[in-house]
Amino acid sequence: MGKITKELVDDYAKKLLIGLTKEENDLVLKEFDIITEQMELIANIPGIEKIEPMTHALDRYLDDLDDDYVEEAIEINEALSNCQSYVDREVKVPKVVENNG
Amino acid sequence: MDSEIIKLHEMLIKKEITSQELIKESLAKSHEVQEKCNAFVTILDDALAPEVTDDYLSGIPFGIKDNYATKGILSTGSSNTLKNYVPFFDATAVCNLKNHGAVAVNKTALDEFGMGGTGTTCHTGAVKNPWDQKRMAGGSSAGSATAVALGVYPYALGSDTGDSIRKPAAFCGIVGYKPTYGMISRYGLFPFASSMDTCGVLTRTVKDAAIVVDAMKGKDAKDLTSWDSKNINLYKSLDGQVKGKKLFYIKELVDMANYQNASDELIKHLKNFQEVIKKCQEIGLIVEEVSLDLTLLKAIPSVYVCLSCAEATSNMSNLTGIIFGPRGEGKTPEEIIMNHRTKGFSPLIKRRFVIGSYVLQKENQERYFLNAARLRRIIVDKIKELFKTYDGLILPVSTGVAPYLDGSKDELVKDDTAPLEEHLQIANFGGFPSITIPSGHIFSLPVGVNITGNCYDDANVLNIAYALEKSLGFKNLKQGGKHE
Repeated sequence: MGKITKELVDDYAKKLLIGLTKEENDLVLKEFDIITEQMELIANIPGIEKIEPMTHALDRYLDDLDDDYVEEAIEINEALSNCQSYVDREVKVPKVVENNG
Repeated sequence: MDSEIIKLHEMLIKKEITSQELIKESLAKSHEVQEKCNAFVTILDDALAPEVTDDYLSGIPFGIKDNYATKGILSTGSSNTLKNYVPFFDATAVCNLKNHGAVAVNKTALDEFGMGGTGTTCHTGAVKNPWDQKRMAGGSSAGSATAVALGVYPYALGSDTGDSIRKPAAFCGIVGYKPTYGMISRYGLFPFASSMDTCGVLTRTVKDAAIVVDAMKGKDAKDLTSWDSKNINLYKSLDGQVKGKKLFYIKELVDMANYQNASDELIKHLKNFQEVIKKCQEIGLIVEEVSLDLTLLKAIPSVYVCLSCAEATSNMSNLTGIIFGPRGEGKTPEEIIMNHRTKGFSPLIKRRFVIGSYVLQKENQERYFLNAARLRRIIVDKIKELFKTYDGLILPVSTGVAPYLDGSKDELVKDDTAPLEEHLQIANFGGFPSITIPSGHIFSLPVGVNITGNCYDDANVLNIAYALEKSLGFKNLKQGGKHE
């Protein structure tokens, strides 16, 4: 298990397209010290690897099927009502692919 | 507005008061409370009185936590990333209350997107505790708890992923009820950690909590995790008959011997809990001590952080500032998103997202995310096993009273009190119904006790809380110590 470093924290933040200040980075490292210590204890619980991970609060999956029904789609102007930059019916964004021609 | 819902309803029916007068009073108090405690994001000064019907909630004002979508009304999640967001739809829970004639008068402030426990990370600034403005209200449903405690209205909506209804309720001296997961549709609730997010309510009495959730709940085609609860009537189930019902508490969390150098506050809080147990026994409840593995209990906060942050990282990926929210500056979509997120998110949730991203990476998943999910199952299975013998788990809500705002931090701590501070998360791991009621005062500030029961057993849990509330005598507690 490699140690979590300032550089790694910045790298994970960058993957999320979030910038961190030095203070924010320090706090992440501090919290990871506690999490890592606890997770080490958990990893040492005998047979932990055989337990099925619990991903949902209720072990109750679909027990009935809902009827299909027709629903109107939302209006385009409603969908765009919170968008700061759009043209006609479309969201405006900068070019993703550069024109090299 | 200081009265219970049934009393207000009777006054409306007898025409001793009008809905318009109630709204006017509630709005006037909202402005006072905003000045004093900074509890709201929006006050709806143009709220209109609906028709008063036989429905208990008709014509009575209420508050909505600002992470519920409200049609045509600013809904920010207390985040700068959504500071101008106005939804074109109502959350199902809000819609259900409207259909019962309830009238919203404000949107309450919260820790950004519900991801905090202090009420200090709202984009509009920290919410102050109604009992002492130098202290926090607790979070994340901070504004709702403060407003209800100060008598703005009899109830306000909250949401609870870790303890976000039940802890601020204790810090503000009121009732906070998180129903079984899925009893109330989450459609329109801004998601934080979807496997644990639960809609609920803050009130001043257990009876009011039952009435409001009866109106909010129901299966919803827009939330496939919601379930049919037509056969559950919480209000009608309140008869106060609890003789012979069995509760347990966890020895390791309330035994003074487990706390070295315990503060005076913690000692007083644990004594308060012992007095609550005596009251339980006086009304015929059987309370027994159960011992659990301290290693499991100590791991609860880390398990919660790993799981909730992982889910939040995924849920919040749509917050880009491109299709909604304020646009960041930049020449490329990546720069635009990065500027939007870096400037828009508070330091706390940026940290949480990074933790979530880390535990989900392929190389870390097994040791962090999956082991946390495995421990979640071990803890939930253990508690469910105990629910075969007991009707509920009773514990103090936290280690003491609301902490001071000055110097407050919302971060994991390595401390022997951490399991007592964070144990309410067990109810979110298992989807259990869980309710906090006031249990007394320490240093003239309120503290609370929590009762948690098995899934779908909400009526039983509320009935026990109802009987205990009567015995403890802190019903309809309002700031200043007045109570019925």
